[in-house]
Amino acid sequence: MAVRKYLLTFTPENVSEPITYRLVKEFDLMVNILRAEVDESGGRLMIVLEGSGMQIERAVRYLEASHVQVQELKEYIRKDEARCTHCGACISICPVRAFVMDGKTFKVSFLNEKCIACGMCVDACPPGAIRLRAQV
Amino acid sequence: MKRTYEEINQKIKKGDAVVMTAEEAIELVQREGVAKATKEVDVVTTGTFGAMCSSGAFINFGHSEPPIKMTKVWLNDVPAYTGIAAVDAYIGATELREDGNMEYGGAHVIEDLIARRPVRLRAISYGTDCYPRKEIDTYISLMTVNQAYMFNPRNAYQNYGVATNSSERTLFTYMGKLLPKFGNATYSSAGQLSPLLKDPHLRTIGIGTRIFLGGAQGYVAWEGTQYRTTTPERNGVPIGASRTLAVIGDLREMSTEFVRALTYHKYGTTLGVGIGVPIPILDEDLMRSAAVRDEEIFAPVLDYAVASRDRLPIHEVSYAELRSGSIEISGKRVRTSSLSSYAKARQIAETLKDWIQKGEFLLTEKVASLPEERSMRRLDMRSREEVS
Repeated sequence: MAVRKYLLTFTPENVSEPITYRLVKEFDLMVNILRAEVDESGGRLMIVLEGSGMQIERAVRYLEASHVQVQELKEYIRKDEARCTHCGACISICPVRAFVMDGKTFKVSFLNEKCIACGMCVDACPPGAIRLRAQV
Repeated sequence: MKRTYEEINQKIKKGDAVVMTAEEAIELVQREGVAKATKEVDVVTTGTFGAMCSSGAFINFGHSEPPIKMTKVWLNDVPAYTGIAAVDAYIGATELREDGNMEYGGAHVIEDLIARRPVRLRAISYGTDCYPRKEIDTYISLMTVNQAYMFNPRNAYQNYGVATNSSERTLFTYMGKLLPKFGNATYSSAGQLSPLLKDPHLRTIGIGTRIFLGGAQGYVAWEGTQYRTTTPERNGVPIGASRTLAVIGDLREMSTEFVRALTYHKYGTTLGVGIGVPIPILDEDLMRSAAVRDEEIFAPVLDYAVASRDRLPIHEVSYAELRSGSIEISGKRVRTSSLSSYAKARQIAETLKDWIQKGEFLLTEKVASLPEERSMRRLDMRSREEVS
């Protein structure tokens, strides 16, 4: 089983397509919508797809054929180690505990695989060590 | 068992002093007891690294040709205070650019200077007979100016309140991002490593005390602003904000490792400053207080949804609980975040220990004590008659 995070960008023309329905129904994927946004320029959808690697690849090909721009988010948030002071301001505001304070070293590490790209940590980081890699 | 500064400094010079960080001292006292630990240890080192808003630096730029009496000064577009001599200015950590951008302020100018990055200096003047020039636009760095020294009117708070938020919306405060409905709680003290908690009545800390400041050797200059001694105590340690220090040190010797510009979203900029104070173990009482643990140090939990100076503590928690990752508020588990870096606090205590062991840092006896009694005054609306 594979779990992958994508940012899908829709044009105003394809924004009304029932994309997620098809991902579930035709490609048998587990879909988790992290963020969704529609405006005059189209729409942006941040989703997590869970299924076999083959299923996900087929789904991505389908999306691209439907003129949906697909960008895989391997790393949504980046923590600048030189800038981080390990204060821990990010710890309590992260809903999925992607930031962990080591009980021995008192250093903060970021677990990318847990991140759901909500971005709540970005403006909570006083030294500005946490940056977005992709805009939604 | 008594020990003098002179004895300790003699040992430091010979390289014989026994120096421990506060964490190591805690372990030793737990293992051996206070009496034995007092005999063994000469100095306990402490450390803290956190947002210290009341920070800034004095700079003397040197004279231009023709000279200028600077009446307004901007450093990288951040205004600096110039109501002092012709080419002196004070850049405060929380001063923001005039365009309303909160991402860059005086703290960033100070960090840029310490990082040896060039800083744009703009100044204007009304022109005088001896200072005819009316404007200047140039670049300075820490290498080009005459003096650049940090002078921070309020640093190293002795304890502080824990912040939380009962309201329905996220609050952006100087205590960080506070989520709605007690979604989190933030605190800002190094607890058992924090300098003023280890000598709570400042027996050994006063004017002239040599300290670790921003990676350099600095000094305690005065009592800090909002210094108060009336905060209730538990285990001999104030529960909540109490004493503070005004500190001074040379910017040129500092490091961005221990002086870091910080931005609190929708609040403003401030400076992260690292401070470490050596506690000479002159007797058992000092050993006892230097070995106070996180379990024994308490802080009040304050609801920042109440935008008033009269917030009542809704709870009281120990630093051990705070550091565990969550505390209980009205039956709810609330996750905690520290705003001061315990990792850096430890690094500071260890660096100071290393300096003392190498004989590079000698202890100073205070020149004068800080006040033993001081209460906080309030600013109320008063008439001329009421204040005269």
